[in-house]
Amino acid sequence: MRRLAGGISPRAAGLLVALLVALIAAPYFANDYLLTVLILILYFAYTGQAWNIMMGFAGQLSLGHALYVGLGAYTAAALYVHFGIGPWIGLLAAVPVAMVAGAIIGFLAFRFGVAGVYFAILTIAFCEFARIGFDHVAYTGGSAGYFLPVAQYGHDDLWNLRGRPVMFYYVILALTAVAFLACHLMLRSRVGYFWRAIREDEEAARALGIDTFRYKMIAVVISAGMTAVAGVFFAFYYNNLFPEQVFGISRSIELILAPIIGGIGTLFGPVLGAFVLTGLSEGMTELLHALGFDVPGAKQVFYGICLLVVIVVLPDGIWPWLSRRLGLERRP
Amino acid sequence: MSLSFRFGLSRRHLLASAAATVFAPAIVRAQGAALKVGVLLPRSGAQAGIGQDCFRGVEVTNPILKDLGLGELQFLNADTETNVEVARSRAEKLIADGAQLLMGAFDSGQSSAIAQVAEQKGIPYVINIAAAPDITEQGYKFVFRNFPTAGMILGDAFANQKEIFAEAGSAPKSVVFMHVNDTFGTAMQKGIGAVMPKFNMPYEIKETIAYDPTARDLSVEIAKAKATGAEALLVVSRLNDAILLTREMVKQRWTPMGVLSMGPGWYEDQYLKTLGKLGDGPLSFVPWYDPNKKLSKALEAAVAKKYPEINLNTNHIYTFEALLIAADAYKRAGSADPKALADAIRATDIKDNVSTGPGISFNAKGQNDKLKNAGIQNRGGKLVTVAPKGATNAKAEFPMTPYDKRG
Repeated sequence: MRRLAGGISPRAAGLLVALLVALIAAPYFANDYLLTVLILILYFAYTGQAWNIMMGFAGQLSLGHALYVGLGAYTAAALYVHFGIGPWIGLLAAVPVAMVAGAIIGFLAFRFGVAGVYFAILTIAFCEFARIGFDHVAYTGGSAGYFLPVAQYGHDDLWNLRGRPVMFYYVILALTAVAFLACHLMLRSRVGYFWRAIREDEEAARALGIDTFRYKMIAVVISAGMTAVAGVFFAFYYNNLFPEQVFGISRSIELILAPIIGGIGTLFGPVLGAFVLTGLSEGMTELLHALGFDVPGAKQVFYGICLLVVIVVLPDGIWPWLSRRLGLERRP
Repeated sequence: MSLSFRFGLSRRHLLASAAATVFAPAIVRAQGAALKVGVLLPRSGAQAGIGQDCFRGVEVTNPILKDLGLGELQFLNADTETNVEVARSRAEKLIADGAQLLMGAFDSGQSSAIAQVAEQKGIPYVINIAAAPDITEQGYKFVFRNFPTAGMILGDAFANQKEIFAEAGSAPKSVVFMHVNDTFGTAMQKGIGAVMPKFNMPYEIKETIAYDPTARDLSVEIAKAKATGAEALLVVSRLNDAILLTREMVKQRWTPMGVLSMGPGWYEDQYLKTLGKLGDGPLSFVPWYDPNKKLSKALEAAVAKKYPEINLNTNHIYTFEALLIAADAYKRAGSADPKALADAIRATDIKDNVSTGPGISFNAKGQNDKLKNAGIQNRGGKLVTVAPKGATNAKAEFPMTPYDKRG
């Protein structure tokens, strides 16, 4: 227990517990629309947390993380559609598939010294390969899309992830909570310290005897595996997959916005970022609607301006600033 | 002795009866009120142009419905932002805001996401445009589609071509197939490969040439196409590349017997405006309208009045028809009760409609499987319908006039 609470100030822990309680209770107060928005928030919080391992902890910029979402989604969906294998068993295949893909990218990059912006381009390239490739895979519907069978369910079937939004809400809440906890533990483990050393100065880390290749590979593989879990959730929640939508570059950008806005390398950053971004997006829609402003695209313009302001004013993200203001940082 | 014991009534029964008494007048009032239709369209993002074009169909609908003696509809608009997640959350929001029926959303992925919400909530959903067959293969009870599936579109395209060739007394013996190498283009390429053999076409495909959707120069591709010696061009493209291909054909002095387009681009307003006389001649095989139907003329006039620069097109037609289905069902159901509305939509039998085919009705899966596609041709900056028989307003000009003989 002490290990779990390690590194988190009592105030932050209190805030975390309050947030968790509020989220657990949310379905009792929120209507289905709000629940859908909360699912989106938690989905982006989860994927942001997974991406944060690579970029925030180990300093490896991936701009093609949609690859792992897509691989997870397609693998689990194909197993379900063709063999009737449920998503939880499907995870046993989806996660390794994404991990192998991550390992291949990582190996190619780290073995041959591809770093920084070139590494980011490599991740985009692999994501694009996958998009084009899946356009031609008839087994998973190709470019015409892959549809999971949907039916009207009288009850929630957790084993097959078929049911009402409230069931999906608790599933993604649990995933986000577990991811948060796992990241917290990883960050405070030996691997976590090595990652941060690599992030700050790879040469210095190597000089200190850290096997940078190995630890960077671990970051990529864990991040890919975790992201694939989100892909499985995506497939069973939306029930349709199109390569252009799943592997598109805009999808990759969407996934990384939450931690960037919330605070890269922080635990609360992806969660806060997801709340701010989705809340801002939905709030902006409602505000414009209330003002009778029905101009398509106007929301995106205001949304973009808000993000720009956040990035200019708070270049480290919202969480570092907020935690300082609220006195949530643990004092030495 | 409690009340429930003596009369077999529980407090729950009493409460329900009281609620029914209180709310019954509201239900009666609702029958006279306009049906609240949640309109979900991709009005921003990658599909913004098409979404906004579909919205034009929404904007001209109410006056026509009024003329038809159907009640006006109240629209609750939502922008899906060309995004599946947004489409789903907007559908939830519209239902929470009181939408009694949903309509949209142009794209198969977004439509599929909305369909799940509609089905879960038991709110009828009429799809205006989306061609993925799977959407109506899920056993949905509240989802209806008045748009042909991809297979229907391709099958009709080949049938219409044969009809045009027979009427013109001339047919190409070979074609070169050019397609844009994006999701739509590759899907069509595969579909054509699978469907074409079933139609015993008079031509063979000499070569297939794929090109990048963002290409700024297609001179090499046209040179290659010309060099095959094919008599006609079979093409799946978008707007920009359709313009590029035409300009390149003119430049390289290649006029095939015909341009047979199986997708967008060649019949769009921008194509016609940009190319003037050079834009005449291509044949497009698309979900279209029967120009001889009374309602088609009314819709065409309404669009021409509100948007003088824009020709009536697929986006307007199918969006309008989706709303027509809603208004017609509401009138027959006499109530906005979702189940009654869904039952009324299922029993739809509209003969006086716009799209090509015998009318609007739905099979057990919620698909209008009687829809027919049309062959249309650019003629003098306008579009004329040249196939299928009985739904035309002109005879196809085939082979088309060579580019260098257009004055």
